[in-house]
Amino acid sequence: MIGYLGVDVGSVSTNVVIIDEKGEVIASRYLRTNGKPIETVQKGLYSVGEEVGDKVQIAGVGTTGSARYLVSMIVGADIVKNEITAHAVAASNVVKGVQTIIEIGGQDSKIIILRNGVVTDFAMNTVCAAGTGSFLDQQANRLCIPIEEFGDYALKAKNPVRIAGRCAVFAESDMIHKQQLGYNIEDIIAGLCEALVRNYMNNVGKGKEILPPVVFQGGVAANKGLVAAFNKYLGLEVIVPKEHGVMGAIGAALLAREATKKTGQTNFKGFNIKDISFKTDSFECNGCSNACEVVQFYENDELIARWGDRCGKWEMSTR
Amino acid sequence: MAKIGIPRTLAYFLYFPFWQAFFTELGHQVVVSPPTTKAILDRGVEDAVNDACIPIKIYHGHVAKLIGKADFIFSPRLVSLRRHGDFGTETFCPKFLGLPDMIRVAIDKLPPVIDTRIDLKPGKEELLKACQETGDMLGHEGKEVLAAYKKALAVQKRFNQLLAKGVLPHLALDIIEGKKKEEDLNRDGFDLNIAVVGYPYVIYDPYVNVGLLKLLEKEKARVYTQDILSNKILNKQQKYIPKSLFWYFSNRAVYGGLYFMKQKDIDGIIHVTAFACGPDSMVDKLLEIECNKHNKPYLTVSVDEHSGEAGVRTRIEAFVDMLRYRRATR
Repeated sequence: MIGYLGVDVGSVSTNVVIIDEKGEVIASRYLRTNGKPIETVQKGLYSVGEEVGDKVQIAGVGTTGSARYLVSMIVGADIVKNEITAHAVAASNVVKGVQTIIEIGGQDSKIIILRNGVVTDFAMNTVCAAGTGSFLDQQANRLCIPIEEFGDYALKAKNPVRIAGRCAVFAESDMIHKQQLGYNIEDIIAGLCEALVRNYMNNVGKGKEILPPVVFQGGVAANKGLVAAFNKYLGLEVIVPKEHGVMGAIGAALLAREATKKTGQTNFKGFNIKDISFKTDSFECNGCSNACEVVQFYENDELIARWGDRCGKWEMSTR
Repeated sequence: MAKIGIPRTLAYFLYFPFWQAFFTELGHQVVVSPPTTKAILDRGVEDAVNDACIPIKIYHGHVAKLIGKADFIFSPRLVSLRRHGDFGTETFCPKFLGLPDMIRVAIDKLPPVIDTRIDLKPGKEELLKACQETGDMLGHEGKEVLAAYKKALAVQKRFNQLLAKGVLPHLALDIIEGKKKEEDLNRDGFDLNIAVVGYPYVIYDPYVNVGLLKLLEKEKARVYTQDILSNKILNKQQKYIPKSLFWYFSNRAVYGGLYFMKQKDIDGIIHVTAFACGPDSMVDKLLEIECNKHNKPYLTVSVDEHSGEAGVRTRIEAFVDMLRYRRATR
């Protein structure tokens, strides 16, 4: 059987999926990146490789996410794509005719507008990461509620309280204040979900024409409280795909399928990259006062790539 | 003979040829600060008032870089270049107006500052007056100054002609200075046309915008900016908005955007803006609304102190992908 591999390495999670020729997911992994993209990818790849064994022959690999270039060198990618395109491709494949994609990840939130299957507009959060996955993680931690149950609490609320959602620091102090006044925790959590949605709509979604079908994806879509809050705000039912947490990786795999169709070959290095040693080191270039931190990337002690310099002096012709 | 220091930022990108020719013709040596670097930014952040935008902070860094290398710092008080706008009161952004004062207060051991006031509202002849005043400070006679002024106008004209041919200012500067030849410019191999609008010191300084223009070139997009358009074309756009803005560079960016969004062969428009720029809160929204009306793809790239290019790169890549798909399905 022929399969395509997609790897999405983001700030919080690393996702690995294998799809078949029709685009159905055969295997997937959702791992925490924990700041170690190389090891995490090696682990994830090895693990899906064990699951599918010899049954699947990988015919193409795609990478996406903020570490997409780094990871492309580890896995031998055929295509490297930005997260927005990858998410749009995946959502279009799962929900035919999708017109709006809401994607909230660990540190990014985006909105993608499609018309007739083509991305016509998109926006990403600018400098502030309030309302993304990491903030919810923190708040769950502070309230000693497992993040998986956060949504259930919100759904039990009768009267969500109003929380300031513009800034994570304001939101936190507002929540504490409301706790001290004696509001119950369900209403506060539901209020937080509504605040995040309000903030998202004002910040990322401002001025965008949101038409159904609306797909809600990214790790945060697992939170039922936020799904309910979006439904309430938009006055429609958002669609949360079954594989909402790994949509970026699915998109990368679909793009790899397309890319390798033309070339008929893949650069895939195999699942068993666990034994290859990848390492990076860095040095400060003193060619000029920019003092760029140049990263060097080694495969089995052989230097195969460099990046991080602004002028291109250290660039290597690997890609 | 004196060494005149000119910071390589802000108005430098559009008006340097004039002042370089002017001072050189008078027998002085013009010293330009090096292209923006991390060290220049760091120094600027240290010296400038905290709530200034990044370009103003960078200007401080450039000025500081000229200490010990120049006998004078040329930091004209740019008030206005024309009578324009609904009340004829268009000016430069307030921070430009106070620039010479700001650097005097903020930077230690500063050489004397030549802070000629440039206010051309009453008419173009004011520029000659400003030149006379500048020449006076350096001990030159009227006749000498007039000759230098004429020479400077001619050089600036040559620069403006390059812009009119579609050569972007940073490249036109290289040509004027003899660092590049016009025929060596890359004009082929592009399959997208993207208009980049915004302030010259944000668009043409690769340090500030983390290499945006190079990135676009790599993506095979040909870049157009408001600065290659004639004043006539730009000013015509005024009638398409209910009211012009108060600020010179803002009007240029808005008019440029308005012109490009009506051009069929322009695939999309990118507005580059420095975080916390007051005028841009209006410029950006205005461009967004107008682009929507014209069904022209629009992207805002917001830059600040970050040196990581990942954010800008992701947005540019996605934008370019989107434009290509749109083109393919058109």
